[in-house]
Amino acid sequence: MIAVAPRDGRYPSRLRDLERPPDPLWIEGDAAALDVRAVAIVGTRRMTAYGERVARELAGACACAGVVVVSGLAQGIDSAAHRGALDAGGSTVAVLGEGITLFLATVRGRRRPLVPRIRSSGALVSQYPPSFCAQPWTFAKRNATIAALAEAVVVIEAGERSGALITADEARRLGRPLFAVPGPLGSAASVGTNALLASGEARVLVSADALHEALGLSAPSAAASPMDPVLEALVVDALDADALRRRVHLTEGELADRLLRLTLAGRVMKTRDGRYAACAKGTRQEDERRGRD
Amino acid sequence: MSTVVAPRVAARSVARVAACALWGLESAMVTVEADVANGLPSFTVVGMPDAAVSEARERVRAAIRNSGFEFPLRRVVVNLAPAERRKEGTGFDLAIALGVLRATGQLTRDADALCLAELALDGTLRPVRGVMARVRRAVLTGVCTAFVAEENAAEAAALGAEAFGFASLRDVVEHVEGRARKAPSPMPSPAPRPPHPVDLADIAGHETPKRALEIAAAGGHSLLLVGPPGTGKTLLARAIASLLPALDPDEAIVASAVHSVAGLIDPERPLLGARPFRAPHHTASHLALVGGGSPPRPGEVSLAHGGALFLDELAEFSPAVRETLREPLEEGAVTISRAGTAATYPARFTLVAAMNPCPCGHAGDPAEQCTCLPDAVDRYHARLSGPLLDRIDLRVHVPRIPYEELRAEGREASRVVRDRVVAARERMGARLAGTGRRCNAELAVAEVRRHCRLASEAETLAAEAVRGRRLSARGFHRVLRVARTIADLAGTDDIRTADLAFALLLRAQA
Repeated sequence: MIAVAPRDGRYPSRLRDLERPPDPLWIEGDAAALDVRAVAIVGTRRMTAYGERVARELAGACACAGVVVVSGLAQGIDSAAHRGALDAGGSTVAVLGEGITLFLATVRGRRRPLVPRIRSSGALVSQYPPSFCAQPWTFAKRNATIAALAEAVVVIEAGERSGALITADEARRLGRPLFAVPGPLGSAASVGTNALLASGEARVLVSADALHEALGLSAPSAAASPMDPVLEALVVDALDADALRRRVHLTEGELADRLLRLTLAGRVMKTRDGRYAACAKGTRQEDERRGRD
Repeated sequence: MSTVVAPRVAARSVARVAACALWGLESAMVTVEADVANGLPSFTVVGMPDAAVSEARERVRAAIRNSGFEFPLRRVVVNLAPAERRKEGTGFDLAIALGVLRATGQLTRDADALCLAELALDGTLRPVRGVMARVRRAVLTGVCTAFVAEENAAEAAALGAEAFGFASLRDVVEHVEGRARKAPSPMPSPAPRPPHPVDLADIAGHETPKRALEIAAAGGHSLLLVGPPGTGKTLLARAIASLLPALDPDEAIVASAVHSVAGLIDPERPLLGARPFRAPHHTASHLALVGGGSPPRPGEVSLAHGGALFLDELAEFSPAVRETLREPLEEGAVTISRAGTAATYPARFTLVAAMNPCPCGHAGDPAEQCTCLPDAVDRYHARLSGPLLDRIDLRVHVPRIPYEELRAEGREASRVVRDRVVAARERMGARLAGTGRRCNAELAVAEVRRHCRLASEAETLAAEAVRGRRLSARGFHRVLRVARTIADLAGTDDIRTADLAFALLLRAQA
């Protein structure tokens, strides 16, 4: 772990845009990952299956274009974004709201297996000393750092008072392009993002292409493959077998056969509550399982 | 005090009376030997009696005196043979009393019957637990007459033994002496099948959960229902009672015997008429669920033998209690070991469990927003260990259903589904004829290989599934058993691709 001061050459230059840049910034991992093209992908901890899938696919698209994904390694959307980038073979930067050593010692659950992967292809950074304990206000400051580290900020899902909205505010203050992903009306996890879009504060993000355009990248946009009707029905949210059958009009046997083939192909997974969900492209299911210790 | 009982002509110094000891459902005939000899007055019971049997001395002494007989002021030794195994319970009282009376000549004939009752201090006979299992043992060893308390008479007669129910010790003596013969109790008819509280026709929508219920009922597979509160998980689980086929006579005897040992039998109608449905609360202890205590009593898993065990709020059971389910789910029996004794109870049941999708209950619920953090949901699901989940064959989501379906008519009644279940069970029974096992969940590994033949296309799918999904060998066999049941319900011999696909999809860890 290293600590770099703003006058240090290794200090990420974009961070100097902040009124009071973190001094010093603690870095665990590859410091070089902080000064290349980067996009922040943030959102609520209480994500829906839709948010998870979009975060992963978007992060994956960024990674494929060689863009680093910056996020806060919180539960929910943040973790999904990091995982999406890593699964696509890209690198990612996690900005913590507490000391790095303390975080490494206490992290549990699904985020734990992510930590070594981020360390080896990307970096964990914090503006707080290694053993600094998280306080409510440290996360707000951390969110500002995320916005400053990235060239553009994408909010996937945010509730009415989500911390991701602080990142969005800071992005506007710093003049970073701000995008929000529209969500279903009535979904509590999309109230914040939909409000950002309605007020014109954020640009609507309907595909990864728009993001690439804003960054001046020419990403190889994948040829739109014909969508399987079953996959299409699962795009918004996980469904139980009966609801799925109502959508696609198949017999029990036909649906079972189709679903099983999609599952084996890694496109659909059965959730722990017995529903079926579409997987983000290129998801590594081992991680899902490993995360459930 | 000076009138010592004068030896009469018919008196024998050693008397023998038949009794029966019980360890779990395992039983063995016991010969109660009584010897009355000269010496300082004493009354000893030997042959590894437990506390309850040792206390029989006081009850027997008082009961003999209060029934108008004389307790010998001599040295009385009672032996329970074979002497090497521990005997438990109060069922030896009557046999010991008759032995003492016979040895002192106050009873002039041998009681050629299994004697099974507890004595009150005034000589009244009291019922004991486990009469059915013991009478069955006696009948098997050729003792076809049983002397029991009146309350136990129907239970003893249910298995075809000549059973006499008596009110008091005096009545037994009068009967044996031939002074006042009692008539044997008639064989009771099995309890009528009770009306089912829940019919499938009462439940709207939920086609896949109902189908899973049908598969579980037909093949005896374990089922986990996951869904938000109030969507009908409990109702669905209770409906399984209406889908299970009738008990066949052998099963009825075993199931009734377990209930008899637990003292949970209707004294008038001791033979169960319907498959048991047990629903212990999630605060149930380890003892309550798998059995135990001293003497070991059967737990809920054994009381559900031959029927269904419903565990609502599976995640709320204490972890130790939940994990004890593994043994019965795999072996179909539980063995409770105590110092000196081990009791084995059958425990082959269809497990139906229900749980919420997350701690707040609303994950995936369109009507209400879930407020749980992802890690909290993970921890909630992690309460169910991998080995336990591996033994759950079917995992289905019970969703909140739309209003149109709530009002829709033309739902299938339980009676129709039960007919399909019965037909499928007949196919299974024919396959397993002579093995004593009845449904696909009980297929041994070798039988799975023999009977679960896959159509060639299904074989490819199976290979792909095993490779791609990290299915354990046990998991794969369980999938094949479920696929076999689905094919049996459809009435086909080969397992088609769709059957296998459906079985794989229904499996918990898909």
